[in-house]
Amino acid sequence: MNNEKKHKLIRCPICEAVNIDTEGAIQCRRCEENIYPKKNISYNQTIAFLITAIILYFPANLYPILITKQLGVIHESTILGGIMLLWQGGSYPVAIIILVASVFVPLLKFIFIIYLLISTKYNIKSSHMDKHKLFYITEAIGSWSMIDVFVVTILSVLIHFTAVKIIPGSGATAFALMVFFTMLSAHAFDTRLLKK
Amino acid sequence: MKKDELDMLVICKKCHTLHQKIEIHKDTKALCSYCNTVIYRYTSHLSRNTLALSFTTLILLIVTFLFDIMTININGVYKSLNLESLFIVVFGQGYYLVGIMLLFLIVIFPVAILISLILLLTLMHHKKSGYTVKRLLILIAKFHHWSMVDIFFISILVSMVKLFAYAQIELGVSFFSFILLLILDIIVIKKISFNELWILYESIYLKDNKK
Repeated sequence: MNNEKKHKLIRCPICEAVNIDTEGAIQCRRCEENIYPKKNISYNQTIAFLITAIILYFPANLYPILITKQLGVIHESTILGGIMLLWQGGSYPVAIIILVASVFVPLLKFIFIIYLLISTKYNIKSSHMDKHKLFYITEAIGSWSMIDVFVVTILSVLIHFTAVKIIPGSGATAFALMVFFTMLSAHAFDTRLLKK
Repeated sequence: MKKDELDMLVICKKCHTLHQKIEIHKDTKALCSYCNTVIYRYTSHLSRNTLALSFTTLILLIVTFLFDIMTININGVYKSLNLESLFIVVFGQGYYLVGIMLLFLIVIFPVAILISLILLLTLMHHKKSGYTVKRLLILIAKFHHWSMVDIFFISILVSMVKLFAYAQIELGVSFFSFILLLILDIIVIKKISFNELWILYESIYLKDNKK
């Protein structure tokens, strides 16, 4: 069946019921939640959260995410530095997992959201369904970037001796916040804005 | 378009293709014609099965949080990872923001989702307080993205690989319960079928309003 018939129909993100799109703010007919705010509000929200996340991406990558204190000698390593160490150590699968989860996934999310935002303003030749799929992927991969933050905290719990200590660096906080804001940005995006 | 007509339609969550619902057999699922994603299911004994599974998941979650996930041994010095030591170290070092996020993502949200599921299914079973059930369903729908138990497990595996070179690793009770928890988490929380739960809700509480 076609995507749009006489009425524009949309899916409630909460209860999955099919609703008639009335352009403005919508209350779902089944769960009675306000499922979509006005379009310009969600558009601006998405941009605001995205900019916050992009700003946080820099400290997350530039500041050390892991600080090792070994007999008074302090060694700091950033995300990329950690990946390089893993690669040199020969654990390629783990290096690839972390590279994908903490470097590529956030970047891909930024690119996807920017692309979707642009495609709401200009006509981009790609099918409506593909854009929806892209949005679905953006939402699905979002939480995977948290792996690095979790790994750092687990390591800091286990390597906590008087001689050797691992401490999460300020990059970890920035990184966790960045993931949080990219997820918020994706959630705020209004799929009704996607053009056919 | 009338309300009943809208009820016969379903939109795929992935590609937003509109479909007309058809009757399907028990314990089968309907796939999207465009992208092959599951768009709706017909599960027999939905509420009873989900209730039992969410109870099991909650028990496993508590077990996982109570005991050691793993213990490392570096030259005879032991350190173990469990929920308590995790938060003591993170908050002790002053990483409050990361600590609070961890607390919400791996403890509060999963527990809240499971307790809400158990509560709402019990209420549904007794056909009581429709409003609470509705609020709980909305709550679960809003927060189920934010439960990151599965990602925490992957992180444990990754940090184990990082530690192999320096230390002997002993797996604890929680590690094995975590594996079970992961499987149940995927079945109960990640694959939760809101559409079916809402249809069940409507059939229990909104009978009078329908013809």
